[in-house]
Amino acid sequence: MKIKAKIKGDIVKVKALAKHDMTTYNQAEKKTGDRNNANFITHISATVNGNVIFDASTSQFLSKNPIFKFQFKAAGIKKGDKIEMTWVDKKGNTKTDSSKIK
Amino acid sequence: MLRRNFLKVGALAAASAVVVPQLSATDFRATKPNTWTAHTVDDAIKALYGAITPIESGVTVGAPKVASNGGAIPVNVKSDIDAKTVAVFQDANPEAAVIVFEMNEGAILNYDIKIKMGKSGTITVIVEGKDGKFYVGKKTLEVALGGCEG
Repeated sequence: MKIKAKIKGDIVKVKALAKHDMTTYNQAEKKTGDRNNANFITHISATVNGNVIFDASTSQFLSKNPIFKFQFKAAGIKKGDKIEMTWVDKKGNTKTDSSKIK
Repeated sequence: MLRRNFLKVGALAAASAVVVPQLSATDFRATKPNTWTAHTVDDAIKALYGAITPIESGVTVGAPKVASNGGAIPVNVKSDIDAKTVAVFQDANPEAAVIVFEMNEGAILNYDIKIKMGKSGTITVIVEGKDGKFYVGKKTLEVALGGCEG
């Protein structure tokens, strides 16, 4: 996962790209003949200093390699703090990456 | 106390613990499974929030009028409403739900995502305010090349 986080004034802006095929049920059926082979990110969240600042339950209709841009208040957060993001997909795979806030 | 009753009480306590708003993440796929299998936007909203009459104001949905690639349509959701949750739906795909954001302390309601749409349709965004009211924003767009088969 690529994560870019930057403090701008009193807000932190984050751009994150998760590498995932995001296979829909229809795509899985077409390619493998079985709808159950669909696999996509079902939940993604981000934490800074132990606080959850972004949290989303997702479906198969996000694009392939989905991009998330979000913002949060910078109160109590400084440059160099770590932002950590984790996703879980339908098959139970999970990935965690982190990046320093610039 | 009988063991059976004790277990029941325990299960109830665990269930109610999930409903209480908290800082940690809520998995809406687990708590509201019917939202994700609903075929129409109305059914999905009903499954997620119950029977609601959202107010048509305060929610801005940004998307191109004509999307050349239905596989990655940039969508922006923005609002000044003090929100608890934000849910994005569309009516072009087999199921309606796309994403449900949970707003935690410090989160700002300004999200950019990329979504797939198989054909032209309307994106519907519901914002659940902390005031207990619901707000809705919509955006209709044309999709030149569908993104669900590729």
